[in-house]
Amino acid sequence: MLGYYVRLALKSFGRNPGITTLMVLAIALGIAVCVMTLTVYHAMSGNPIWWKNDRLYAVTMDNWDPKQAYSKKSTLPPPEMTYKDTQVLFRSDVPVRKVMMYATDGVISGVGTVPSERAQTRVTTADFFAMFEVPFLYGNGWGAAADSPAQPVIVLSRDENEKLFGGANSVGRTLRWNDHEFRIVGVLDDWYPRPRYYDLNGGQFNPPEKAFIPYGWGAELELLNNEETDCWKPEKLDTFKDFMASDCVWIQMWVELPSRSSRERMQSFMDGYWAEQHRAGRFQRPRDNRLTNVGNWLRDNKVVDTDNRVLVGLAFAFLAVCLINTVGLLLAKFLNGAPISGVRRALGASRRQIFTQHLIEVGALSVLGALLGMGLAALGLAAVRHLYASAHLYHRGGYQELMHFDVTGVIWAVVLALAATLAAGLYPAWRIGRLPPALYLKSQ
Amino acid sequence: MSLHVRPILSALMRNRTGAVLVAMQIAIALAVLVNALYIVVQRAEKMGRPSGIDVDNVMVVASAGFTDRFQTVPSIQDDLGWLRSLPGVVAASVTGSVPLSDGGNNNPLVTRPGAHPTDNFNALEIDEHGLAALGVRLIAGRNFTHDEIQPPLTKSDSSRFVPEIIVSRALGERLFPGQNPLGKRVYDSLDQAATIVGVVDPIIGNFPSNDHPDWVYFLPRYPFAFGGPLNYVVRTQPGQRAALMRVVEAHMAKSNPDRVIDYVRPLNYFRDLTYLSDRAMEIYLITVTTLLIAVTCLGIFALATFNVSTRTKQIGTRRAVGARRRDIVRYFLVENGLITSAGVVVGCALALGAGYWLSIAYALPRLNLYYLVGGVLLLWGIGQLAAWQPARRAAAVSPSVATRTV
Repeated sequence: MLGYYVRLALKSFGRNPGITTLMVLAIALGIAVCVMTLTVYHAMSGNPIWWKNDRLYAVTMDNWDPKQAYSKKSTLPPPEMTYKDTQVLFRSDVPVRKVMMYATDGVISGVGTVPSERAQTRVTTADFFAMFEVPFLYGNGWGAAADSPAQPVIVLSRDENEKLFGGANSVGRTLRWNDHEFRIVGVLDDWYPRPRYYDLNGGQFNPPEKAFIPYGWGAELELLNNEETDCWKPEKLDTFKDFMASDCVWIQMWVELPSRSSRERMQSFMDGYWAEQHRAGRFQRPRDNRLTNVGNWLRDNKVVDTDNRVLVGLAFAFLAVCLINTVGLLLAKFLNGAPISGVRRALGASRRQIFTQHLIEVGALSVLGALLGMGLAALGLAAVRHLYASAHLYHRGGYQELMHFDVTGVIWAVVLALAATLAAGLYPAWRIGRLPPALYLKSQ
Repeated sequence: MSLHVRPILSALMRNRTGAVLVAMQIAIALAVLVNALYIVVQRAEKMGRPSGIDVDNVMVVASAGFTDRFQTVPSIQDDLGWLRSLPGVVAASVTGSVPLSDGGNNNPLVTRPGAHPTDNFNALEIDEHGLAALGVRLIAGRNFTHDEIQPPLTKSDSSRFVPEIIVSRALGERLFPGQNPLGKRVYDSLDQAATIVGVVDPIIGNFPSNDHPDWVYFLPRYPFAFGGPLNYVVRTQPGQRAALMRVVEAHMAKSNPDRVIDYVRPLNYFRDLTYLSDRAMEIYLITVTTLLIAVTCLGIFALATFNVSTRTKQIGTRRAVGARRRDIVRYFLVENGLITSAGVVVGCALALGAGYWLSIAYALPRLNLYYLVGGVLLLWGIGQLAAWQPARRAAAVSPSVATRTV
């Protein structure tokens, strides 16, 4: 029966090739635009470490100007912390893992004939790698003992190791970082968390840093944060020590709290510290000590921007128009073929069979539409990638990496196409099944 | 002349599904068209603002010193001396950050010592060639002189201000509304004073996406030489930038072993990257809206064609009882007009609803009603155009059709 219905459907397509083409095209365009937009939206709104959403927390405290909030657009505390506050909170033994860190400028030299080159570097405490589940190709991170006093050890990204050592296992070799000798202890495997949730400053979709060194080097070599430093207090900052003691925010702090009770203990530790400092004259804004999980962190920092929400709305409006269009055309087409259905009903076909037959015709249309739509979406994504690639001439990464058409995307698109078109075809198929056959037999 | 709307309307009401579907498409199309156009115009205005900078002829060179032997001031003087000696170079200056790049410094300024700062303003360090190197126009006062250029801040001296500054016209107006800012004194957060010696206009500083990208001031100082590279901005004669970039890169990569040249790039690169999301949004909105209108239009056309072919007999009958060709054409156009009008009415409500949401999401002024009027007229015209050809086909139906049975 099914085979017969499919044959009927193909025959019916042949009867009105123009309308059929238009319907397939409308479905395909609707699907293509939706798939493109959702691919980008999905990549942007993804939580790259969702499995740790109930363990991993960004730490923030509102140390800002009593007279005005950090941002003019929200009342959230600053997204970074002061050096001195993180030093105190870091002493807590409540978290199973804890990280203080920031990004700085580095130049790597002293590797054979490889020219010296600038390498964005993360200055971080030892737990970074385990906490954010960073994969290693060779070696490992460093132990907490290497953070302070700072040991000359360094971890390289896979790309950087490729550039410097042709991808060979470089653990144990040395290089010069800002003209100081460092020993390589680990090389990362490919690791591109998107968005770069652990530090959203300096490009939310930029790749991670090329090198990682122990946190103690920050104070030792007086390294500044080269992405985001914000100060509010009129205070004289004549030395790096002044800066470390200042109310400027430039440190990212994350903690891993495996249970509710540990979370509560951390919160009360922060509140206790806040109260003590508040009495001493700091923290004069309302108390707002936060432990923010990754999902909320991405939301608070507006990683998915308004443009993307608007585009998703637009894509669905477009899909709706395409489907309404298809419903109208299907209806007209089916009604036009009503005399044939009338004859089939008169010869014994049930309403249900007429309905099924038409629904199969719709199904065939949606398969064609989905296939074409997929092709169009792939083309569209290639075009978007081209647009971004031409602007990001000088470096890899960023938005263009978001445009990859992944397997889940394809499956979603197929499901979307089939579901949407079948839903659109239900009404016309039902209408045609309900028509009284006699009316159409009479005029023959 | 009457349009005989009543019979058309009652015919429509007896078979309304098709009409309702077309009206729905038109409603959505109107809502999308009007709002998409509104966003596109906003973006085009944003990207079209004059930056005041000769973007097409400026290159940026990033020099990062990394050894203890690296000496900031001699290195800058050395590099600038060489850059300025190049034939084809109009001017060259050193700066701490790249204009139009979405990165740089914002610092508060106040007009009375001790006043509480409420806003941060975009601060750029340049030397006496800085304005010329960017191509920025001085509209009042004077440029910095060579002797006024201060040594860079260092790690043991990082709170010092400068005695003179040059402000943008917009910043002058913000600080001293309705007054001439020249000669006025402003204060940094530590109450150190500076005198405004010059005013430039127009200018867009480091942050084109800020609410006030034109609140900019220039400091006569060599840039802070740690925590990031030094940037040179070099302006060339028109057409010579590409060739000079290669010369600069080749020479400077070798001229000082205590630093690396991170990049030599055209200033357009930074501007285009900053505006990339606006441009992508523009392209995307225009493409999808055009497709949407095209789909709607084809849908109207196809449905009208279908209707004509299913109503051949009625049309023939009408013709046989005396309807003229143009009566038939008019019938279909009026029918289309009625459907479009219904769609447009619903569409206006949708458009205003969507516009209201957008104005909140983007913190933009509410949708301008001219867009709505334009959109309505456009969709009306498109609807009539799409129905025109099928209507003509209908008019061509011969009255003799009425006498046949099928």
